[in-house]
Amino acid sequence: MRRTVLFSFHEKYGRIGEYAGYEMPLWYKGVISEHMAVRERAGVFDTSHMGRLLIKGPQAADLLNYVSTNNHSQLEVMKAQHAFFCNSNGGVIDDFLAFKLAQNEFFLVVNAINHEKDVEWIRRNMRSFDAVLSDLTEKVSMMAVQGPLSPDALREIFGDRVVEIKHMWSSWFSLDGVKILISRTGYTGEDGFELYLFEEEERKTLDLWNAILEAGREFGIEPCGLAARDTLRLEAGFCLYGNELDEETTPIEAGLRFGVKFDDREFIGKEALLRQVREGVKKIRVGLRMTERGIPRKGMSILKNGREIGYVTSGTLSPLLKVGIAMGYVSPEYSRVGERVEISIRGRLAKAEIVKFPFYDKRRYGRKRRTNL
Amino acid sequence: MTPLAHSKKIIFYVCIILILARLEVIHMPKEKSSERSIMVDEYEVRIGLLYTEEHEWVKVEDGKARVGVTDYAQKSLHEIVYVELPEEGIEVEQMKPMGTVESIKAVSEVYSPVSGRVIKINERLRDSPELVNKSPYDEGWIAVIEPSNLDEELKRLLTPEQYADLLRKIIKK
Repeated sequence: MRRTVLFSFHEKYGRIGEYAGYEMPLWYKGVISEHMAVRERAGVFDTSHMGRLLIKGPQAADLLNYVSTNNHSQLEVMKAQHAFFCNSNGGVIDDFLAFKLAQNEFFLVVNAINHEKDVEWIRRNMRSFDAVLSDLTEKVSMMAVQGPLSPDALREIFGDRVVEIKHMWSSWFSLDGVKILISRTGYTGEDGFELYLFEEEERKTLDLWNAILEAGREFGIEPCGLAARDTLRLEAGFCLYGNELDEETTPIEAGLRFGVKFDDREFIGKEALLRQVREGVKKIRVGLRMTERGIPRKGMSILKNGREIGYVTSGTLSPLLKVGIAMGYVSPEYSRVGERVEISIRGRLAKAEIVKFPFYDKRRYGRKRRTNL
Repeated sequence: MTPLAHSKKIIFYVCIILILARLEVIHMPKEKSSERSIMVDEYEVRIGLLYTEEHEWVKVEDGKARVGVTDYAQKSLHEIVYVELPEEGIEVEQMKPMGTVESIKAVSEVYSPVSGRVIKINERLRDSPELVNKSPYDEGWIAVIEPSNLDEELKRLLTPEQYADLLRKIIKK
């Protein structure tokens, strides 16, 4: 079992659980209070279990353009974008975030559970591309600071420049001799940042973690575990690999067209994905909100008039809305917002309706909230 | 032996038994024993209840069985946000699921410690599932069952001491 450099903190203050081969904090005080801290104030997450890869070389962009669904040549330096590694059927091998650090240098953040599979996939499709792949997972640590007050907390450490970073952009900072890449990105639906410590020493990661908690204290910042990370992303309508995404599901079915660029270039899975765009899909990802008591969970069936029309991929009680919410796949004819369906909860048919993402009111919560409401 | 000597002998042995019981060398049921509990680490095991290996408890009162989940069960789940109660009137079987106790992230089945008919459910848990966290052995009870085979089934349940031993083993792992 692997541990991140912040394990000593997690062990002292949190409940530890296993995820993707790592001993990670599930929660500290509790998933509900941590979830609400991020929706209302700020929270900090250890995300060092995620995979971090570097692709460098004259043809780094060409390689990425071929093995993934997005066009990385057009990406501006210091900007980030989402993309997928797909197999030839369009099934998702992994979804990731790619940062263009320099014209010939890309920094990829991939899912912990797919980390090794991704490395193998890229190497297998290297062909004659003039590029070098290196695995920085052990060398770079990572944390996320999320929530409407996260800019205020980070401003105290990094100054005004950190607040000027725009959504999906990144910038370099230096602190105590450590190079830190900070991006305005996240997985909670809220405004927030992700921090990557290059050339890290264990102590310096813990120092920064503690500095953020200290700087955020007046804003009510909380350390948050993986449980809150999952409920936050679910409320925001974000996919989790292994739940909404797998090798039998395409980005088109998942409703993630924004990570797929159909242009002149060839990429693995292009034909299959284009066919789905032209001919339609057999299943499509939807949001579900319970209109009856009960908490939907992964694997439960979705029914319409007693007939099975789909399945749940993630479900929880929404800590914010206090109602059961879920994501799942249904036949497209039942995917209309407002469609009434049933979820089979251990044999009981509980009523639910199809809703749009995110699950919360965008005017009151999330990155685009109207702050004066 | 004269009748007097015989009764003296009986009195003598009764005294020995009472002294041993007092010294807790032999176990005798005591008044108010339900007020007492065994602590295994941070987990409370109530005396006077019987337990399942799946962390339910049962308390027999006037031939009826009140059931709930243990302190260990509620602490493992942490914040309980939902309890799926059995319906009143349904028949349940020993060690078959009769409901769930759920946190945000986890679902735990509640197995019925005894067979019988559900005659009462704790309606308060619908709006206040956190009672299971706050008071697993009292206000957080889940249902009352009219048992159909009580004497036979009680033999299959764990005594507080046996359940405490089970917890010690789980914690060691």
